[in-house]
Amino acid sequence: MKRILCTLALCTVPFLSACKKSGESAGGEEKLTIALLPKSKGNQYFVTCEKGARVAAAELGAELLFDGPTNSDPAKQNEIVENWISLGVDVIAAAAENKDGLSTALRKARAEGIEVITYDADAQTDARSFFVNQATAKGIGDALMDNAASLTGAEGEFAILTANLTAANQNEWIEVIKARQAEKYPNMKLVDIKPCDDQKDKAQQETTNLLSAYPNLKAVVAVCSPAVPGAAEAVKQAGKTGAVKVIGLGLPSENKAYVKEGVTQAVILWKVEDLGYLTIKAAAALAKGELKAGAAEFDAGKLGKLAVEGDNILLGTPFTFNKENIDQFDF
Amino acid sequence: MNGRYSREITVAAALGLLLVALAVFAPNFFELQPLLSRFTSQMPALVAAIGITLVIITRQIDISLGAQFSMCAVVAGLVAAAGMPLGVAILAAVGTGIAMGAFNGILVAWLGLPSIVVTLATMVTWNEMLRLWQQGRLLPLPDGIQWFGLSQAGGQGLVIGIAVVLLLAAAWAMRHLAAGRHVYATGTDAEAARLAGIDPKRVTLGVFVLMGGLAGLAAVLNLVQSPQVQPNSGDGLELKVIAAAVVGGVAINGGRGNLWGVLLGLLLLTNVNPALTHFKMEPYWERAIQGLVILLAVVADGMKRSKKSTA
Repeated sequence: MKRILCTLALCTVPFLSACKKSGESAGGEEKLTIALLPKSKGNQYFVTCEKGARVAAAELGAELLFDGPTNSDPAKQNEIVENWISLGVDVIAAAAENKDGLSTALRKARAEGIEVITYDADAQTDARSFFVNQATAKGIGDALMDNAASLTGAEGEFAILTANLTAANQNEWIEVIKARQAEKYPNMKLVDIKPCDDQKDKAQQETTNLLSAYPNLKAVVAVCSPAVPGAAEAVKQAGKTGAVKVIGLGLPSENKAYVKEGVTQAVILWKVEDLGYLTIKAAAALAKGELKAGAAEFDAGKLGKLAVEGDNILLGTPFTFNKENIDQFDF
Repeated sequence: MNGRYSREITVAAALGLLLVALAVFAPNFFELQPLLSRFTSQMPALVAAIGITLVIITRQIDISLGAQFSMCAVVAGLVAAAGMPLGVAILAAVGTGIAMGAFNGILVAWLGLPSIVVTLATMVTWNEMLRLWQQGRLLPLPDGIQWFGLSQAGGQGLVIGIAVVLLLAAAWAMRHLAAGRHVYATGTDAEAARLAGIDPKRVTLGVFVLMGGLAGLAAVLNLVQSPQVQPNSGDGLELKVIAAAVVGGVAINGGRGNLWGVLLGLLLLTNVNPALTHFKMEPYWERAIQGLVILLAVVADGMKRSKKSTA
C-alpha cells in the first residue's frame, strides 16, 4: 500500500509541475530539465540523495531525471551521460565513479551547451563548473574530535582505527584530529592508531587488543566506515559498553543497533538527503545564470546560505547521528 | 639438529619466547576475555589452514580460498536473513564452498591447468561478483545467529571446539587413512603415485573440494562472531594461511608437512599483531615482522634441501 502511494506521488509530481509549466509558459519561461547521475542507483546512499533532490525539484518546478548504473559501473555512467546529451537536458549533476572516465563525457556535454556540476565524488575540474562538496577534511576531523571530547569530558586516552596507514583521506582526517586535540583538548591523549584494512572483522580484533593493552582507554574513534560496527562489537563483547565510547564516520543504518544499545555514541556523516537537495538547487541556479564563478556564498533554500570556497559549494559541518535522532534516517 | 620435528620445535620456541616476553612486559595480554576473543577469532583461519595444508602437500595452491570464504559468508548470511534455520545456512555455506572448490579442482585435475592461474582467476571472479552483487554493504544477520544462538562464552567454546575437533580429525586422517597417504604420495611424485595405483586426479580434485568445504565452514565460524557480515570478509585470508603453512614447515613443492606445524605457524603469525599493540609499538612493524618470519622459514627450507642434495 505504502509502495503504491509512493508510486502515485512520484507519478503525480511531473503532472503537477507540467500544469504549472503550462500556466507559466505565457511568461515564456521554459521548464528546467535536471539530470542527476548517481554512482549506482540501487545504492541506499544515492536513493536517499534522490529523495532530497525530488524535494528541491518540486520546489523549483523543474523536471528531474534520475538514472545511473544498477551497480557501480563507470562505463554505464558514460552511456547515460551520452543519452542525456542527445536528449538535450539543461543541467547534469554527476557523482563520478571514475574521475577520468566520466570527465570526458562531461566535457562533451559542456561543449554541447549543457551545464555540468558534480556532487559527492568530483570529476576533473575542467569538466564541471562547481563541485557540491559534502564535507571537508577539517569539518570531518573537527566533528570527530569534538564528539570524542564531549563524550569523555575532554579527558583521557583515545585510539584511532583507520583504513590503512597509507590511505590519503584518512591520514588527512587524522592530522586534523591531532591538531584539534592539541589545540583544544590538552587533557586527552591519542595512544594508538591501528589500521583495519577496511575490514570490520579486523577492526573488531584490533579493538579487542586495544582494550586490553590500554585499560584506561576512554574512546575509540573510527575514521573508516567498516571499523565503526567492528569496534562496537569488540567493546560490547568485552563488557565495556558505555565505559569505552565508540564514535566514527559511517552510515547510520550500519550502526543503528549499536547506537540504540548504547555501545556506539555517535556516528558522523553528512545528511545525505540534504546533499541531493543542495545539488539540485545549485544545478538549477547554474542553469538560470544565478550561480556564477567567483560567488562567495549560495542561497540553498531551506538549508540557508552556504559558503562557496573556490568552485566548491560546501554542504557545511557534518551531522552527528545519535540515539535521539538515528531512527529518522534509513541510509 | 635436523630431527624430524625440528621445524615444529623452532616455531614453538619462537612462539614461546613471544609469550614469555608478553608475560613479562605486557601481562594484560593474558586477561581471559581478550585472550579468548583473540583465540576464537583465529579459529576460522585455522580451519582454512587445514584445507590449504592438504592442497599444498598435493603440490598445488589455492589462492581463491579467501574469495571462497567471502562468498560462503554472504550466501550463509542471505540464507539466514531469509529466515532459514541456522543449519540450512551452514549447509548452504559449505555447499557453496564445495561447488567452488570442485570448479577449481576440475580445471586443475582434468584440464591439467596450473593451480596458481586457475585459482587466481577464480579469486578475481568471485571477488568481483561479490562486489557487484553486494556493493560493499554490511549484511545484517537475524538474531539467534551470533554465537549459534548461545551465550558469548558458550558460542566461543563451540567455535573453538569445532575447529579443534576438525584439526584432530584431519591430523589423524592424514596419518592413518589411505586417503591421507595418497595426498602425500601425489604431492611427492604424481607419476609414482599413479603407478602405485593411486589416481592423482581424484586426489587433486578431492583436496580442492575439501578446501572449498572448509572455507565455507570457516566462513560460518567467522560469521557467528558478530551480527553483521561484510561481503569481503575473506580478503587476505589466503596470504595468512599460506604463510602459516610455510612457516609451519609444509613444503611448498609438495609431499611434506603436518598440521601441528601449521597450527604453530598460524599462532605465531597471528599473535604478532596483538603483541605489537601490547608492546605499544608502531603497527608498521606487523607486516615487516611477519615477512621476516616467512623469509626465515623459506631460507631454512632451502638450506635443508641443498644440504640433502649435496649429502
